[in-house]
Amino acid sequence: MQAFSNKAVTQQNSLLSPQFKGGLLLPQVVTATLELIINKALALNHNKAISFVTLSQKTLTLVLDELSFELSFTVNTASSPATVIVRSQTDTSDCTIKTSINTLKKLKANQSLTQLIKQDELDVNGDIKIAQQFANIAQSLAIDWQSELARHLGDVPTHKLLQFGNKITKSLATTVKQVEADISEYLVHEKRLVVTSSQITAFKVQTKEISREVIAVSARIDKLFASLADK
Amino acid sequence: MSSSDQNSQASDLPTNQQTPVDADNKSTTHFGYKTIDKDDKISMVAGVFHSVAKQYDVMNDLMSFGIHRLWKRFTIDASGVRPGNKVLDLAGGTGDLTAKFSQLVGREGQVVLADINSSMLNVGRDKLRDKGLVQNIEYVQANAEYLPFEENTFDIVTIAFGLRNVTDKDKALRSIYSVLKPGGRLLVLEFSKPEHELLTKAYDFYSFNILPKMGELVAKDGESYQYLAESIRMHPDQETLKSMMDNAGFELTSFKNLTGGVVALHKGYKF
Repeated sequence: MQAFSNKAVTQQNSLLSPQFKGGLLLPQVVTATLELIINKALALNHNKAISFVTLSQKTLTLVLDELSFELSFTVNTASSPATVIVRSQTDTSDCTIKTSINTLKKLKANQSLTQLIKQDELDVNGDIKIAQQFANIAQSLAIDWQSELARHLGDVPTHKLLQFGNKITKSLATTVKQVEADISEYLVHEKRLVVTSSQITAFKVQTKEISREVIAVSARIDKLFASLADK
Repeated sequence: MSSSDQNSQASDLPTNQQTPVDADNKSTTHFGYKTIDKDDKISMVAGVFHSVAKQYDVMNDLMSFGIHRLWKRFTIDASGVRPGNKVLDLAGGTGDLTAKFSQLVGREGQVVLADINSSMLNVGRDKLRDKGLVQNIEYVQANAEYLPFEENTFDIVTIAFGLRNVTDKDKALRSIYSVLKPGGRLLVLEFSKPEHELLTKAYDFYSFNILPKMGELVAKDGESYQYLAESIRMHPDQETLKSMMDNAGFELTSFKNLTGGVVALHKGYKF
């Protein structure tokens, strides 16, 4: 029989209240959306080497500075393919990571986990291997978006759609570059609100030159005062 | 019933704080706004759910605009369920909560989906089997007032949108208390009393004018959805239900209003 102490239950209640404040169900909207996306991605995954066996019923919890609720990911291997259940609260977690979205981006950019922990940007409680296994699975997912799209739309429409997408992307990139150039032209040359990088470099060189001359004059004055004092 | 009749009914609704004198009589109870013999309620409620079972999920999505999924998700989050737990999903109907609990308790845990209505139980069983959820779920046809389980059996008992259909709610709460383990908890998810006057008016209009028509259109049964709207109004409000849970022996009882009090989640522990 699993017995709970009064204290444990009271703590659980106190944890429950702030998270569910307002009853607007935002945490449930977020977790439902994440769950849908994750499980869709798992269903579309072509990398059969991925195994969830060691993560069965394990829970990874993310406590992000930006969110007022936590995100708990529990693996269920009873169904095939394995599914992940996302909750906004759990009493038990095998690994809890407290961090921010920015730090997660750094992790994605392969910055060392240990380095981030040392810098106090990441706080890990529990079995770090669980977090590593979750991360490995996320990185190993292989989804052939083109094939998936072709299954629903057909080969030719998919090809045309992707071609159109690429064209739009290139066109957008060109437009963005053009707009950037126009804005800088307007600010630098027409309104003279900002200066160019070459002007900043020239200014820095001139400043350094003046600084050197000031030091030289200062040294000469010091020398002059010294010789006057001797006389 | 004409539209004007329905409007006047909506504005003069019996509320969940008013109790007709008849209801105090031990041999009578409510069936929507009707006062009926207690012995008749089970068969009348059964009639409603036999009629709507097959369209139950579709109607839930339509009536609540899908929000019932978030209310149920909230219940799962608040349950504190963990691997190995034994859960009773009472009046579990088509098994939405059971599906989630089954995945969270794992192979070592167990979920019992119980419902008094065989049609609802059959729809639930088919749905869960289609989802591949078979290994840790049991199906039991049971009356919440007389639960056929040993004392101290479950870590968690949930009853979602079911308590208002039970004839003797106090007896059902005592029965649930009995089958919970010490440290176990009951979660009651049920329609309740909206917190704001404006919301109450909009909700009444929707319940008595739109809901039965939707029922007529989709489930070909407007009367059952008229009963649904009436039974919600006759269900005890938040504070009353909390007191009933206290009286049944539950401790640390609390409730949380969801969507402005249209629905409330009550929680209580057995120590």
